[in-house]
Amino acid sequence: MTDNKIENGGFEDFAVREHRSLWLDAWRRLVANKTAMIGLIVVVVFILSATGAHFFWEYEARADLDYNKKLLAPTILATEEAPEIHLFGTDKLGRDIFRRTVHGGWNSLRVGLVAVGISLSIGGILGLLSGFFESINMNFRESLALMTLMGAGLGSLPAWIARQPMQILLFAGLGVASVLYDRYLVDRKSPRQLYFAILGTLIGGIAGILVGFWVAFVCAILGLLIGLILARPVGGKIFSSIVMRAMDIILSFPSYLLAIAIVAFLGPGLEKGMIAIGVVGIPVYARLARSAVLSVSQKEYVLASQSVGESHGRILFRHILPNILSPIIVQSTMGLANAILSAAALGFLGLGAIPPEPEWGAMLGDSYKYLSSGAWWAVLFPGLAIVFSVLGFNLLGDGLRDALDPKIRA
Amino acid sequence: MGRYILRRLISVIPTLIGVTLVIFLFQRLIPGDPAVAMLGEHATEENVARIREQFGLNRPAFLDRDALAEGDLTGFFDSQYIRYFRRLVHLDLGDSIHRRIPVAETLKERFPATLELSLLSMFFALIIGIPAGIASASRRNSTVDGVTMVGSLIGVSMPIFWLGIMFIMLFSVFLKWLPSGARLSTGVEIQTITNLLLLDSLLTGNFAGFVDALKHIIMPAVALATIPAAIITRMTRSSMLDVLQEDYIRTASAKGLAERVVLFRHALKNAFLPVITIIGIQAGTLLAGAVLTETIFSWPGIGKWVYDAILGRDYPIVQGVTLLIALIFLLVNLAVDLSYAILDPRITYD
Amino acid sequence: MNVEKQILVQVKNLIKYFPVYQGIIVNRHVKDVKAVDDVSFDIYKGETLGLVGETGCGKTTVGRTILHLYKPTSGQILFDNIDLTLLQENELRKVRNRMQMIFQDPYASLNPRMTVGSIISAPLDVHTTFTRKEKQDRVQELLKLVGLNPDFVNRYPHEFSGGQRQRIGIARALAVSPDLVVCDEPISSLDVSIQAQVVNLLEELQNKLGLTYLFIAHDLSMVRHISDRMVVMYLGKIMELADRNSIYLRPLHPYTKALMSAVPIPDPELSSRRERIILKGDIPSPLNPPQGCNFNTRCPIATDLCFQSEPEYRELEPDHYVACHYAEPPQ
Repeated sequence: MTDNKIENGGFEDFAVREHRSLWLDAWRRLVANKTAMIGLIVVVVFILSATGAHFFWEYEARADLDYNKKLLAPTILATEEAPEIHLFGTDKLGRDIFRRTVHGGWNSLRVGLVAVGISLSIGGILGLLSGFFESINMNFRESLALMTLMGAGLGSLPAWIARQPMQILLFAGLGVASVLYDRYLVDRKSPRQLYFAILGTLIGGIAGILVGFWVAFVCAILGLLIGLILARPVGGKIFSSIVMRAMDIILSFPSYLLAIAIVAFLGPGLEKGMIAIGVVGIPVYARLARSAVLSVSQKEYVLASQSVGESHGRILFRHILPNILSPIIVQSTMGLANAILSAAALGFLGLGAIPPEPEWGAMLGDSYKYLSSGAWWAVLFPGLAIVFSVLGFNLLGDGLRDALDPKIRA
Repeated sequence: MGRYILRRLISVIPTLIGVTLVIFLFQRLIPGDPAVAMLGEHATEENVARIREQFGLNRPAFLDRDALAEGDLTGFFDSQYIRYFRRLVHLDLGDSIHRRIPVAETLKERFPATLELSLLSMFFALIIGIPAGIASASRRNSTVDGVTMVGSLIGVSMPIFWLGIMFIMLFSVFLKWLPSGARLSTGVEIQTITNLLLLDSLLTGNFAGFVDALKHIIMPAVALATIPAAIITRMTRSSMLDVLQEDYIRTASAKGLAERVVLFRHALKNAFLPVITIIGIQAGTLLAGAVLTETIFSWPGIGKWVYDAILGRDYPIVQGVTLLIALIFLLVNLAVDLSYAILDPRITYD
Repeated sequence: MNVEKQILVQVKNLIKYFPVYQGIIVNRHVKDVKAVDDVSFDIYKGETLGLVGETGCGKTTVGRTILHLYKPTSGQILFDNIDLTLLQENELRKVRNRMQMIFQDPYASLNPRMTVGSIISAPLDVHTTFTRKEKQDRVQELLKLVGLNPDFVNRYPHEFSGGQRQRIGIARALAVSPDLVVCDEPISSLDVSIQAQVVNLLEELQNKLGLTYLFIAHDLSMVRHISDRMVVMYLGKIMELADRNSIYLRPLHPYTKALMSAVPIPDPELSSRRERIILKGDIPSPLNPPQGCNFNTRCPIATDLCFQSEPEYRELEPDHYVACHYAEPPQ
């Protein structure tokens, strides 16, 4: 406890605590947590072995094939009969399982990082913006951007029906008009619904008539509806509820099925698997970011920065973002664990990694048929690899959660 | 409250429509022509065209704008999606492209198997998870707590299919105690009423059948239950810990109430809310985890069926099953939301 | 005082309603929370205007709306003859450096992840083109001004006590030398001993820098100490406005009378002789203010007239305004 007394106009100052940055505090807590440290060690070992293997231990998967050595049990010491050491045994094609397991780590690591990266960036931004605009009113430029997008988006339907891309521009313009109307004509009593409905109908009808009567008819009706929707500039709350509703739709699919469907669409390959798992995870981060932003933006320092006159961008980056990092970091760590599990599941089903790429799930999928003939090593070791790496991340994530946001429990 | 229920029920509809759109969209985008997949690669052009015509695969996906340009308003709306939607409204899920059997029929056959497995798993998950969580929370930092925490953490880190394989390895291959697949041993018959075999066998007084069905279902059920059990344990524990800190708990203990009363009457009710949310989510995960478990245990449910259908481009099956699962998901979540209102009188919906 | 009093802020017929949305399929605008319901007053340059009332009477909303943190539903706010309600965003931002706010909660009003120096220099970043050195100097200057050790620039808010944090908030508010400072219950969250310190600091700063304060609070004795004039609000409307002594010694509105009768007097004899007016009932919901005078549900002298028509806000004595049917200037 430092005691700084300053005579200054009669005031005395006591610094309450030693100077420590919040991140340093969190680090100390993390280090003190034994299980978290175990997790950290496991994670470090995992990362090091995976990257080390990829860059330094040569492995040509396609060339690795030796039917003579099919399904040998694990050996630790070389003997006359089995001159080569196979720590984890060999699989159905005679490949050394230990080597494939270590190399498989690299694939799992990649999938985890990319998938979480996708989920985090897309979901995080969506959630951030949703939460932000729910609490703070959009300024002129933001409204303009949003309404242009909405106009273009809504207008793409009649544009597609009539095969006229021009309509997208016209309806985007209608969105712009809505914002300008709101800003410069303050008369609340004017029948803006009516004006915009008419404008919309005209846009659809006139553009459509160039193609044919019925097209014009349908486009006019659509234009009417679009005009009504665009009449009042969309507020942040509506934006947020649209985004969250979209997230709900993604969430109403069980994640495995959705991932399988996406991979079926995109084709086989590890990269496609990454995208699939990434997309499936978007709503998780969106919801998390949004609720974190909402709780932060209620705090008075955000209001204070508005009264100071800070711009939205500055508020977002200096005030909101640094204060929502904790739950996002924790979720990303756990998310990595989940991504590895999902990748393994996809690999097991034959989606994801293209054989003969070493991937833990795929290795399991290949070998479990041989279980009945007693080849237990082919399924035990890749599975253990999955369990350990996932466990490591989960332990670390748990520890991070306690370290970053300690709640003192009596 | 009634208003809130009404509002929630109504909001399910647009989400459901959105779901049908997404499902439909996906299937359309998957490369590969089901007609070709059905007839084989060497089919003649004519036959392929005929099959496509028969299944309406030659109509445009959503809307026929060419028809509209020619002034055909009704033709405009005649598209694959609209046809699909109309049949849906009549509860017709279409026929499997490959087998020509109505999807709804196969669904009725196979769904109870998945349902039985999911229900039993959920049951196990709950009877293990909740007591473990409560015990762990009330004896914080003791051995019980430590063991539970480690156990649940490991449970969450395990791939379900690996666990299933390990179970088979241990109990079927090495110990030979339990069978490794299917719902019943060959030769064993149970009269099917609901096709939930455990239930049916009890209803018909078929004790031997019950034992056999149990032997077959126990491994996949326990394997499937592990992850939800672990998650429920963790959630219950953390929620209970939060609640046990509160002042009103201290008051209750200070009043001299027995620990059990304090735990169950006061703490649990308030701690239960987040746990229910998790249970809802887990219900969905169980249905989905079915794919992997069913593959390993050769369980004749919808999981494996829909997986094969996705790869075989058998659209109606995929659409039908996904729709059913999405619907169940939504209803479970609705039930969860409604239970909030019952559990927490502070939540007002107006 | 014979010095010609300049008006710094004019609030004219300010209304702020918060819409409540309900509905099954479409959320419709059903009701309004009438937080501020037709409020008018002036703030003179250099004075401290106290704004008091119960929780929920709208005083915080008034403060925030004057600063345009909320957009008024209707009415005008003139700051130094500039109508704020007519300004666009960028023009508004230019005016913001002339009016600042001090917040109630010293724990929530400072960003826990920013250093004290960054917090205080934030207004400088926005409104000035100072170089880094100039900003640092200004921050040092401000810290000394509020009585904090300038070495604390690189510390984080969680390292300080409540009173110190509040002083950091004051330093931030003063960074761009505003004319008006709205103090939104600045001492309500502090320990009593610290409260006095902070109030003294505020007075000192007012003298030194020629500030104008709108002091929002519910602690009547503290407000009396610091204010020149006072406004008493109830359920979104002004009940009484007068100079400090008139409010305390000769309140004319029954609500003010009840409030004043509850303020503790240090003299036990006087205190025991005083008649306490105890109001019955609770404050009605701002969703549904009563017909007629807002105070009629709790007023000890309410009559049928009070339930039928709203009292006029009239000047009963010079610079003494009351909104009550039965208030009479003393003979």
